[in-house]
Amino acid sequence: MDIVVAHNLKKKYGKKFAVNDVSFTVKKGEIFGIIGPNGAGKTTTLEMIEALRPIDGGSAMISGIDVSAKPRAIKQIIGVQPQTPAFEEKLKLKEVLAFFASIYGVKAQTTDLLKSVGLEDRANSYPEQLSGGQRQRFSIAAALVHKPEVFFLDEPTTGLDPQARRNLWDLIESIRARGVTVILTTHYLDEAEQLCDRVAIMDMGKIIALDTPEALIKDLLKRGFKKRHHVEQANLEDVFIDLTGKALRD
Amino acid sequence: MKGLIRQLRPIITYARIDVKKLFRDKVAIFFTIVFPLIFLFVFGGLFGNDSNVSFKVALQNNSSSDIAKQVEQSVRNSALFEVDASISSKEQATEKMSQGVLDASITIPEGFGDVDSSGLPGGTLEVFFDQSNATGAQTLASVLDGVIQELNASVVPVKQPFGVSVEASSEKGLTQFDYTFSGLLGFAILSLGIFGPTSAYPRLKQRGVLRRYRTTPIKVWQYFLANVVSNSVYGLISVGAMFAAAMVFFDLNVKGNILAIIAFILLSTIVLFGIGLAVGGWAKNENQAAPLANLLAFPMMFLSGSFFPRFLMPDWLQKISDFLPLTPVIDGARLLVTEGKTLVDIAPQIGLLAVWGVIVYLIAFRVFRWE
Repeated sequence: MDIVVAHNLKKKYGKKFAVNDVSFTVKKGEIFGIIGPNGAGKTTTLEMIEALRPIDGGSAMISGIDVSAKPRAIKQIIGVQPQTPAFEEKLKLKEVLAFFASIYGVKAQTTDLLKSVGLEDRANSYPEQLSGGQRQRFSIAAALVHKPEVFFLDEPTTGLDPQARRNLWDLIESIRARGVTVILTTHYLDEAEQLCDRVAIMDMGKIIALDTPEALIKDLLKRGFKKRHHVEQANLEDVFIDLTGKALRD
Repeated sequence: MKGLIRQLRPIITYARIDVKKLFRDKVAIFFTIVFPLIFLFVFGGLFGNDSNVSFKVALQNNSSSDIAKQVEQSVRNSALFEVDASISSKEQATEKMSQGVLDASITIPEGFGDVDSSGLPGGTLEVFFDQSNATGAQTLASVLDGVIQELNASVVPVKQPFGVSVEASSEKGLTQFDYTFSGLLGFAILSLGIFGPTSAYPRLKQRGVLRRYRTTPIKVWQYFLANVVSNSVYGLISVGAMFAAAMVFFDLNVKGNILAIIAFILLSTIVLFGIGLAVGGWAKNENQAAPLANLLAFPMMFLSGSFFPRFLMPDWLQKISDFLPLTPVIDGARLLVTEGKTLVDIAPQIGLLAVWGVIVYLIAFRVFRWE
């Protein structure tokens, strides 16, 4: 069942199309990735579907609700993790969660939420006291207070160390395991390969390829692609993780 | 009804944690509570003792009569005069007057109070004053005139056919501090209402905090109302501290009804906060917000009577300042707090504030941006 349907989405800035005829569908319970270079239109595409930016052409539906027609109904059933999570200072984590929950008209399961992101002992901390990785995880907890159907993450692991990245991948997997559909953008191709069921590759405002990572790789190899170097069974990141361990460092 | 309660819940939740936040933030505590108190102590100290005007005078008695001694004594004992004992000559007195440290020199001439050819004692007091201090001299002359009148009446009993009866309008006169206090209340509410949000919102926007709120279904009016509620609590805390300090240290005499005062302070806080909300909600960054905030706040502070009474201004300026939103706040506070008027009496002030409230919040809604 397709929970998100984007059809010929267009966004125009001046005379230039930042997003031009983007169409894709996301199945319920899928982790869907949008990858592409800077300025490809990834964030703009997400923001149109999240009802944060007017859609200049085409349409987007989530769970059968038209985004342009009912933006508030959309916001009620989605969770959004922005690129740089920021919260008001001097507010305790449990207070921030209580406020977000009250907006959606639900009661915050503060302890469970914080536990699910490994911050159960930080309920009385302020967001500014958290490390980068912790803040990312807290931001995810805040986006999930209302148990959304679709969860959007914009470059969630940018700036995190390898341990924190792996931890976040596990977290995203566990969120999907609870039945939440996940749509994320990323610059890191290993992340897309590891995490995403399917990826859309965007460039210059258009989707230029869309499939499972395996299929995309097979397709490339079929066209006769060969790496210049022989590929080892491990890379430098595997060495790093092997030496420093998987445990979180915050 | 159920839907409304559901929509009000984020407002209550936010207001509650925002008030808690105040007590965790030293900078916010400073600007909300300490800063207005500093102004209170500075201005209260300046104007606190001004209620009894006194003249610094030099007094020379060249007569040895009993009557001359009586006059000397009454001048020395009068609360109106402060006699500078270090002066013994007219030259010295003139010099001190030209320096501005002495208001006048009073001389009781030789032979003052001696019985003359008419069989009655007589004499003329000589008063010198500095040319630049003519109004002070006039007051002084009329005060001394009163002393002499009494003296005359004691020597020659006469029935005065006409007289003037003078009575103060209120039992306990308004002190200068009472005036100063309402001005400072207005100042505190204005700075809290304008400088608070115009520095906070642009910062929240730049950090992306408001952008995050925008991803949720929260409505602008909910966010506004939440902030209005918490800012009103800030305002009551700030104003409450000022009242307490004024009553303890400056003998502020609160005449009005406490509930009426609280209601009026709340209205004032809400209206002036609307100005800050409009500016801070519109501005994308602090560079846009700060100049506009100053442009709006400073003229109001000076024209609406925060630091000096409006009656000192020329008529045309008073007419303009009549309509500024801070003017009814200060006037209304003075009428309620120190003159014991009721909310009905200050209906014009409340009406003007309400009109401003509608205007500033309409603007705030129109220009608000989440990022």
